[in-house]
This record gives sequence, structure tokens and C-alpha cells, in this order.
Amino acid sequence: MTPRTILLAPIDPVHDVGLKMIRRGLKEAGHNTILLPPDLPPEEIIQEIINKRADTVLLSRTLGYGVAEILARFVDLADALGVRERVKLGIGGMAIRPELAAELGFDAGFGPGTTVEEALAFVEDREYVPEQGKRDKQKRDLTASYTYAYGNSVIAELLGQITGGILAWVQNKTSPGVLRARAREELWDVRRWRGYGKMTEFLKEYPGLCGEMTRNFYLKGIMHPKTRRFTREEVAALENYVSKTKERMTVPGLQHSLKKPMVFNQYGTGCPFMDTGHIKVSEAWGADGVIHFDPSWGARTEGFMDGFLTHQEDGTVITPANLNRIKQSLEPGTLWQIRAHRGLNTPETAVLAGKFQADFTKINICYGALGAGTDPARMTVDGVAAIKYAAKYGLPFDIVTNEELCGVPAHKAFAGMLISCALGLRLGGKPVLQPLFCYSPEVMVEGWMKDNYVDFNVAKVLALRRIIDAPLWPGAPIGFLTHTEDRIQSSASTAYHASLAAMLGVDAVTIASSDEAYSGGPISAPSKVDTLRAVGEGFRFFGNMKLEPSPQALEWSWQIEEDIAKVLRQVSERGDFVGALYDGILGSREDGAYPGRNGKDTVMNV
Amino acid sequence: MSRILDRVMDGMDIETFIICVSEDEGRRLTLQMFREMGFTDADIVFIQFQGPGVRVRARAYVHRPGDNYGWLKAGPVEGDVK
Ligand code: B12
Repeated sequence: MTPRTILLAPIDPVHDVGLKMIRRGLKEAGHNTILLPPDLPPEEIIQEIINKRADTVLLSRTLGYGVAEILARFVDLADALGVRERVKLGIGGMAIRPELAAELGFDAGFGPGTTVEEALAFVEDREYVPEQGKRDKQKRDLTASYTYAYGNSVIAELLGQITGGILAWVQNKTSPGVLRARAREELWDVRRWRGYGKMTEFLKEYPGLCGEMTRNFYLKGIMHPKTRRFTREEVAALENYVSKTKERMTVPGLQHSLKKPMVFNQYGTGCPFMDTGHIKVSEAWGADGVIHFDPSWGARTEGFMDGFLTHQEDGTVITPANLNRIKQSLEPGTLWQIRAHRGLNTPETAVLAGKFQADFTKINICYGALGAGTDPARMTVDGVAAIKYAAKYGLPFDIVTNEELCGVPAHKAFAGMLISCALGLRLGGKPVLQPLFCYSPEVMVEGWMKDNYVDFNVAKVLALRRIIDAPLWPGAPIGFLTHTEDRIQSSASTAYHASLAAMLGVDAVTIASSDEAYSGGPISAPSKVDTLRAVGEGFRFFGNMKLEPSPQALEWSWQIEEDIAKVLRQVSERGDFVGALYDGILGSREDGAYPGRNGKDTVMNV
Repeated sequence: MSRILDRVMDGMDIETFIICVSEDEGRRLTLQMFREMGFTDADIVFIQFQGPGVRVRARAYVHRPGDNYGWLKAGPVEGDVK
């Protein structure tokens, strides 16, 4: 390629930084460049074009005042002096809109954020192809580098005793949830289902194991009142939308040079179509993974419906068709979590997550029993079964500790989390610890976060790291309860929590949208973009910085570790895990935890 | 030609600053402004009053979950990229 002679001129009183950046790129590519100083009148710039025999002219304008006038004057003069037809003429800068540049007869206009490559392509008459390689994200196993070795032998031993007791207790017990999971596991084949094969055996057994609402669905065709089936036209439109969008998709990362944390956000508008819309937006703005949220009644209902269904309230109904469609809409590198954790369908959700090849599920017996309304005995039987299925399908599961949001102190919630973690390890699973990262009720009540929102969250991570070498995934979502309806505050708060998580080197975070604290309507797509952008900015700002824990954070971390051991000792001495849940050892009524009633008296002996 | 609003994925937010004497007045004016623009399904997401007036973000949902989404069947809008 023959080098061009390029004259660069700021047509602006002062601003020339952008133009200098562009010039450096052109010089490096071997072109001859001449840079004029700012504040020259158009006459002088044109004279220089003639004097220097430039074949390409690049102007830059930053100030937004009088732009059209000065540029029009430049173009008129260049025309009059016969310069216009001899040179290639481009203009860029903050004040430039492509529409205006075209109107005034420039060959091209470049606005804010132009890359050197774009300018170079213009100069060299090439088509500009945006940077490739952003198309594929590779899935990573965030549990891979962990040994799960205990660093606190006292806690390790207590967990051994407690989990031994739990496994012995559940051995001869089952529940409708466990039986449904088995039917789904053994009688329902995903490949046959995809091929529209009949599920006769399954349908013979399944409705009988369901609650009234779901049984009526199968036997009488009665739908849940807030749900409806999609029409054929709607489905065709969705398929078209997804395939068209996929063609245009690129999947940037938010981490810049960081390796972690991975960033997850949640979807669950109620409608799988809207979810798909939101998922594509999240992926396009940098989310590494997405999490399926089901309706709150899903946890209280025995059994799943079937079909491709939309729901008008918060939470997207779990059915094979809904999961299948959502899975198909994902980019290949997007991680996918289906939460099983908290209700009467926990084990069956783990089975479906496995059959639809999700990347994670979510299980916590204590949170399900104390914060989410499920009977402790039932939750224990079902939780163990769910963990077994997660292990069988090689699905890592996070152990969310949102009972903290009810007011349960961190150390009690963590004791419960460690019990589920230890069960996971005994059953061959890959648990991930999920401490809550936020301004929690415990610290509000105790007044511990008057000075900063950092120390107590840091203390949690330090304590857990000393206890066990396991992956950490703060959530869920980070900044929960710290958000307000204000999108600026919500986004900033999310970014601070995410940056803190990054500086602590954790593996992943779950973030909310900036609509998290708005309860007047469904979460909107732009609000997802808000927090993803904010988090990216946070990661950019702090880069590879590590956080040096304060003396206060260290002190709290020791306290938490000590208190966890105390709680576990009490559970162990109680000799009965379910009894311990009822007694409030892992979170009491005074704390704000209430043993759930859904599924009470449904545990059966075998 | 279809309505451009059909392309709005879910809600449309307007953020602005309205000169008024109280939060109540700010709320009233904001909702009235939405009605005048033809939006009936409007709500205030965030509002903060200080002496000069309110900083407000209000939202009208164009598509709520479970609706028939215009953006799934949107035909070309005049001047569209083909
Ligand atoms: C640095 C700066 C200055 C420096 C300029 C130093 C210099 N030598 O350039 C100084 C301090 C001198 C300055 C002064 C003023 N500034 Co000033 N300044 C900025 C600032 C902070 C950054 C601009 C910048 O350099 N950005 C970085 C570069 C890399 O970005 P860029 O210019 O957009 O360039 C990119 C693209 O646009 C494109 N590009 C640019 N040119 C070209 C050309 C071609 C051919 C191509 C292909 C691409 C291309 O590629 C670049 C890379 O992506 C902005 C605010 C901000 N944060 O943006 C205000 C800003 C531009 N300044 C502004 C103003 C008003 C002024 C003053 C007039 C203020 C005053 N009243 O005194 C004075 C000028 C006084 C005077 N004598 O007239 C306003 C403009 C507002 C408006 N509506 O026009 C801004 C937006 C700040 C604000 N919001 O008030 N400023």
C-alpha cells in the first residue's frame, strides 16, 4: 500500500487530544502525517492542504457550538479553491454526528469512541471490520482449581458428624418431591421428548405425585390462572427473532485484564420470550452467565406443569419446554444456572437442570427451610436427593445464604451453608459457597457498617477461606437490600460490591439490575444494561488491585469463624439436624427465621 | 409501516428535572405529562425533591411480560436498514 500524505487539523480552539491519538496510529501504519495546531481559521487550513500536497485531510471538532457553520464554511471554501475534489476528506470528534458530516459532503464522519483502526481503514480505503474474537467466550469450570480441603479441623470434624447424622436419617425416607424427581429421571427422556415421543409411562405416574393444581393441569387440562400457552405464530416469531439476533451478536467481557469474577445476572420476567429478550441484552452487554428465576408459588407447588407457557407475574415457570427454549436462545459460551434450592420441587429441578445441560444449580437446605417456607424435614430429604442428582449430572451448585436477608446472623447462615457444602462433598458434588454481599439486616441492626460497607463483607470471605478451600460466589445478588429505586445509586452500589469482590479474588458474582428495588413493575432491559456497564467500569477502575483487609475486617473474620464452630457444635450436640432447624440453632424466630410449613408431614418412610 | 414503539422491548423511561414546590406536585406533573403523551400505564420509578424541584424517573410499560410483543413481529419502519 502506498503511504498517504495526511494533513490533520483541529478545527477547534483547543481540543486536539483525539486527533493526536489518531495521528499516532496513522504514523505507525507508515503514513506521512502533518499535524496543524488548533485554532486556525479554515482559510489557513486549506492553504496548508495546498502547500503540503496532502491527499487526505482529517479534521477534528470537539466544541459543540457553531459546528455546522464553521464546517460549512470550510467545505465551501475548499470547493471554491478546487481542493475538495482532490482530497479525501474526513472529520471526527465529540461534536461530530455522522448525519451532519454526510449532509455537509464529507467522505466520512467519526464520533466519540472512534478506534484508530476505523480511521486507518478510512484512510486506506478499506472496509472497517469491528474487532473480531469477541464472538466466543469459553465456559470455565469455576470449581476446577479448588481442593475442598478444610483449614479448620474442628469445623471439619463437626461437619463430619452432622452430615453423617443427616445421611443416616434420610436413608429410609422419601417424599412426593423425591418420587417425582425419580419419575423424571427414569421415565422421562429428553431426547425422546425433543422428538415429540410419547411419555406414557411418565404421565401414568407423575400426576399422582403432584399437588392439586398440577394434577388438574394433567388430568383436566386446567391451567394456572396467571399462565397461558404461546400461539404457533408467537413461537415462530420468537424463533425468527432469536436466529436473527444471534447473527449479530458479539459477547464482550466486563473483566478487562482480570480473570475473574465471572458476572451472572438473573432473568425471570415470567415470560420466556421476554426473558430471551433480556438474556440476549445481558449477553451483549457482558454477562458471563444467567440465572433462571421461577415464580414464588413454584416453591409451594408440588410438581411442574408442561408446555411452552408464559406467566404474567414475577418468575418464569419451570417446564421442560420453557427450559428448552431458553437453553436454545443462549450463546454457546453463556453459563446457565437453574435454581433448585428452596421448595417442593428441589430434586426434580436438579434433574431437569441436568437433563437440559445447565451449568449450575443452587441448593441450600437451611435457607429453604428457614427463609423460603419449606418444612425442615421435607427440605432435608429433598435437599439430599437434589444434591445427589446434581452430583450425578456433574452440576456444581451454589449454596445461597439469603436467610441472612431475613435477619439471620452471618455465622449461623454460614454454618448452614457449610453443612450443605459438606453434604455435597460427601455425595460427590461440587459445591460453591455463596456469602451474601450487602448491607444486611444483621449489620443494620448492630450498627456495624456506619463507616463503610466493606469490612463486614471482607470478614465473611476471609472466614470462609480459612475454613475451606472452596470456590466463592458472592450474591445473591450482591448489594441486595443496599439498592434503592434510583438507578444511579443501584448501579454504583452494584459496581462497588462487584469491585470489592474482584479485589478479593472471588470466582463469580451475581448482580441485580438497577430496577432491583423497584416494585411497581417488571424489571426492564435498560436497567440490566445499567448495572452491567457499572460493573465493567468498576473492574476497569480497580484493575488488578488487591484489597488489604483492615484490622476490623480481620477481627470480625475471626469472630465469624469462631461463631460458626459454636453453632456447628450445638447442631452436633443436638444430634438431630432437622430438630436443630426447628429449634432455631441455625437461625431462630427472634433472628427472623421461621421453619417453613410447605410440605409438612409429607415425608414418608420406606 | 409499524409503530416504532413496537420495538421498545419493555418499558420506556423518561428522566428529567421538573421545577415544582413539592414531591407531590412533581409526581402529579410527571404522571400528567405521561398521560398527555398518550401513555396510560405509567409509574414513577424514582423521585427526589429538593428546593428547586424534582429529579424524576418515570416509566411507561409498552410491553409487559405475557403480552404480545410488537418487537417479535415488527415490520420494517420507514427509513429502516434492510
Ligand atoms: C481535555 C479537554 C480540554 C483541554 C483540551 C486540551 C487539548 N489539547 O485537547 C482543555 C483543558 C484545554 C479544554 C478547554 C476547554 N474546553 Co474542554 N474538554 C476536555 C475534555 C476533558 C476531554 C476531551 C478529550 O480530549 N477527550 C479524549 C479524546 C481522546 O476523545 P475525543 O476528542 O472524543 O476523540 C475521539 C473521537 O472523538 C475521535 N476523533 C476525534 N477527532 C477525530 C478526528 C478524526 C479524523 C477521526 C477519524 C476521529 C476523531 O477519535 C478519538 C478516539 O476515540 C472534555 C470532557 C470530556 N470528558 O470529554 C472537555 C470538553 C470537550 N471541553 C469543553 C469546553 C466547553 C471547553 C472550554 C471551551 C471551556 C471554557 N469555557 O473555557 C475550553 C476551551 C477554551 C478555549 N480556549 O476556547 C466541553 C465542550 C462542551 C460543548 N458542548 O461543546 C467539554 C465536553 C466538557 C464539558 N462538558 O463542558 N478542554
